[in-house]
Amino acid sequence: MKKQNRTGSRVLIGLTFLFLYAPILLLIVFSFNAGDSSAVWKGFSLHWYTKLFQNRLIMSSVYTTLLVSLLATLIATVAGTFAAIGLYSLGRKRREALLTVGNIPMVNADIVTGVSLCLFFVAFFQGWGAFAKWFNSIQSAVELPDRLVLGFGTLLLAHVAFNIPYVILNVAPKLRQMDRNLMDAAQDLGCTWMQAFWKVMLPEIKPGIVSGALIAFTMSIDDFIISYFTAGSASSTLAMTIYGMTKKRVTPEINAVSTLLFLSVLVLLVLSNIKEVRQEARDRLGAARKPSALERLGQKAGEPRFKWVRRGTAAVLACAFLLAVTVLARETGSRPVVNVCSWGEYIDEDLITQFEEMTGIRVNYQTAESNEALYSLLKSGGADYDVVVPSDYMIGRLLEEDMLEKLDYSQIPNFSQIDDRFKNLSYDPTNEYTVPYTWGTLGIIYNTAMVDEEIDSWSALYDDKYAGNVLLINNSRDALGEALLYLGYSVNTTDEGEIRAAYNLLADANRRGVFQGRVMDEVFQKMEGGNAAIATYYAGDYISMVENNEDLAFVIPKEGSNWFVDAMCVLKDAPHQREAHMWINFIASAESNLMNMDYIGYASPNRVALERYPAYYEALYEEELDPEIYNIMVTPPETLERCEAYLNLPAATLNLYNTLWTQMGVE
Amino acid sequence: MKNKLSWFAVPYVVWMALMVVIPILIMVIYAFTTADFEGTLENFSEMGSYASVFLRSFRLAFVATLVCLLIGYPVSYWMAHEGPGFQRLAMALIMLPMWMNFLLRTYSWMSILENNGLLNQLFRAVGLLDALGVDYIPMIGTPGAVVLGMVYNYLPFMILPIYSVIVKLDHSLVEAARDLGADSAGVFRKVILPLSLPGVLSGVTMVFVPSVSTFAISRLLGGGTQIMLGDLIEQQFLGGAYDPHLGASISMVMMVIVVVCMVVMNRFGEGEGEAVML
Repeated sequence: MKKQNRTGSRVLIGLTFLFLYAPILLLIVFSFNAGDSSAVWKGFSLHWYTKLFQNRLIMSSVYTTLLVSLLATLIATVAGTFAAIGLYSLGRKRREALLTVGNIPMVNADIVTGVSLCLFFVAFFQGWGAFAKWFNSIQSAVELPDRLVLGFGTLLLAHVAFNIPYVILNVAPKLRQMDRNLMDAAQDLGCTWMQAFWKVMLPEIKPGIVSGALIAFTMSIDDFIISYFTAGSASSTLAMTIYGMTKKRVTPEINAVSTLLFLSVLVLLVLSNIKEVRQEARDRLGAARKPSALERLGQKAGEPRFKWVRRGTAAVLACAFLLAVTVLARETGSRPVVNVCSWGEYIDEDLITQFEEMTGIRVNYQTAESNEALYSLLKSGGADYDVVVPSDYMIGRLLEEDMLEKLDYSQIPNFSQIDDRFKNLSYDPTNEYTVPYTWGTLGIIYNTAMVDEEIDSWSALYDDKYAGNVLLINNSRDALGEALLYLGYSVNTTDEGEIRAAYNLLADANRRGVFQGRVMDEVFQKMEGGNAAIATYYAGDYISMVENNEDLAFVIPKEGSNWFVDAMCVLKDAPHQREAHMWINFIASAESNLMNMDYIGYASPNRVALERYPAYYEALYEEELDPEIYNIMVTPPETLERCEAYLNLPAATLNLYNTLWTQMGVE
Repeated sequence: MKNKLSWFAVPYVVWMALMVVIPILIMVIYAFTTADFEGTLENFSEMGSYASVFLRSFRLAFVATLVCLLIGYPVSYWMAHEGPGFQRLAMALIMLPMWMNFLLRTYSWMSILENNGLLNQLFRAVGLLDALGVDYIPMIGTPGAVVLGMVYNYLPFMILPIYSVIVKLDHSLVEAARDLGADSAGVFRKVILPLSLPGVLSGVTMVFVPSVSTFAISRLLGGGTQIMLGDLIEQQFLGGAYDPHLGASISMVMMVIVVVCMVVMNRFGEGEGEAVML
């Protein structure tokens, strides 16, 4: 072969690697950042690593990810190997037909696999529920659980399902290469079938099994979409946690976890390559060739004194695996639990710890993105919540669809401290189902450094002047509500023409490129970092944002706005009723409300807490509470008069909202 | 022995029926029914209004696949011509990022592409922004950012299969072609390219299918104003507009289009399969 100049090709390969690794290096560098930005360097610190190990959400999702990937790889490798052996003893035609069907999960888009598995599990659970109820009613010897939900089990099944084809694919060629008479010969020579299998077949196909397992593990670790649809609310993989976090304020804890992951994989990869490299280097010993750097490294590490490194790694891995299993078993064991679903950045997490220490009940705290997303979660059967914290209009809808349980107020004595203004509201007129959590208003948040006028109207959201700098709120009720208010209509209109007019206003602005994005909790990062000029969000969140960026201003537009109450409710047939009531009572107390109010910036519905907050603030920070801030937090009555609460809309209007919202961004 | 071994296939066939065939059937049932499970074709007749989403998704995925191919093919080709030590190291380096979840890698791009992100900071520092008279160059939230995210995440899926085909290529064929008078271009066009086609085809599949159906990448880098098929489907199941029946019908149409594309493409050669192996 002609010797060609390799400089050009090497430069291209080098550039490709630069492209692949530059973002990863950045992640790693910023994991040591003292500040909490992922774009501005503030000095070296290991702060985020300490925080990482205290972050329960991340740590438990790392466990889940490792456990599900290891278990799925193990199961899929064994099952896939036997399936391949079985398939290769069939005739060609039948084998090809079965392989085509079997390869579907590999060829299909992940989202299709995820969606179809999710629908299947939910359908199965419904069927099972009916069967278990019937079965429990005709006999009393065995009590079958009649309520199954998506969780670790379904996650594992889904991973095994998409891993098996990769194993078969890798084992198959080794089976094809193997001489079929070998097995017969071994058995003729006196081996039992089992012995022949272990001593003849397995060694022959081992390389295929190993690479199949490796691919399966890689696919499992890398998967997000299928997990997202099949894991339900109770278990979350690292990818799901990261996805949740990227929607909120991202902290460099994510960078820290990526760095650790990257380094451990790097170490494993180097170690696993060592043996192979050393072997090859030895084979080539005769040839007078200088071993490459990696080979030299391999030879060195392959020396006897390095053997303990590999053995040690294996041992550590095994221990980690066992630890993960035992921790998971203990966590999911007999300890009482309450499953809570709330919004992002919506609780002082110390409250969770306090409650757990006080009662011994474990709080499984999850978040949903918006009221509509919560509704989807509940409806799609993936959720296993006891307590949810929807807004007023969504409570109305959940009640209408009979999805909430009546509360036992004798178990919630702190309810008496709730201000009468927030009792018996239209969504729960006799107050039998809800305990208010917070209340507040929706308004415009803008960056005074980027906007040179004083904004006082919703019109700013649709103004070409701010093209590419406006963030549209990513839920249909608020986004269309703002447009309705701007056009002078009621937020609760059921008039199709008015709603369509509001939609056209949004769609038109979207077409003209006014909106930079549709965001929910991403708004924190975008507004604090000066990445957008105007957004609409909730007053309480503005209080948190202005602490990080003093240029931000909040206004309730002259056309009026929405005021809302978010309230705690217990879902119908929730399995942990007693724990749910304890949690609600704990959160409704004046102390919890004060802590929450200070941490999340939303106004409390607790009379005592509302009165005491300015004094509480002064005692805590040794400075007076800015009355302007207090007025944004606790909207004064004269401003509230301009605001309208959302009511639950009739089904036809809800359908229209759905259709229009799906249409947004379609054009 | 044959018969005894074929029993091993039975559990797998049962498993396949349960976990592959039935779920897809259920999805099809959803696609053809209303919320009360009455038969309907309405979900499909509405599909026309989402044509632009289909077009956008297929267009972006096509561009991403093309870019991956244009980068991936030469890289794999030249990699296969390096020494074994180099090859092993390069393979490891290509595999390595896949073990960090793709969301982490995508998230990293967010901080690079933001209006106030690292790239814009760099441009500002070198005076490019002043020269252009702008505050920032908009990158996040553009279709280009989405394509970049796809290329970045799925490039290894293009390189691996092409590389593994080229590296196994029988070198005597190349020599024979030369002996018969072919020049370098001819050897490449008539021998190497046709023989590496299976790798190319499976690379294209492995990049195109996840690209066309992604929702996380478009959400994170595209800002959510230009939704793609994946976003549309996700919205109907776990997002802001609950309608699993519409979601199932969109998934089904997407699946059919993708399968048709793949069948047409695979007529060009025996692709798929082999190259997904290490």
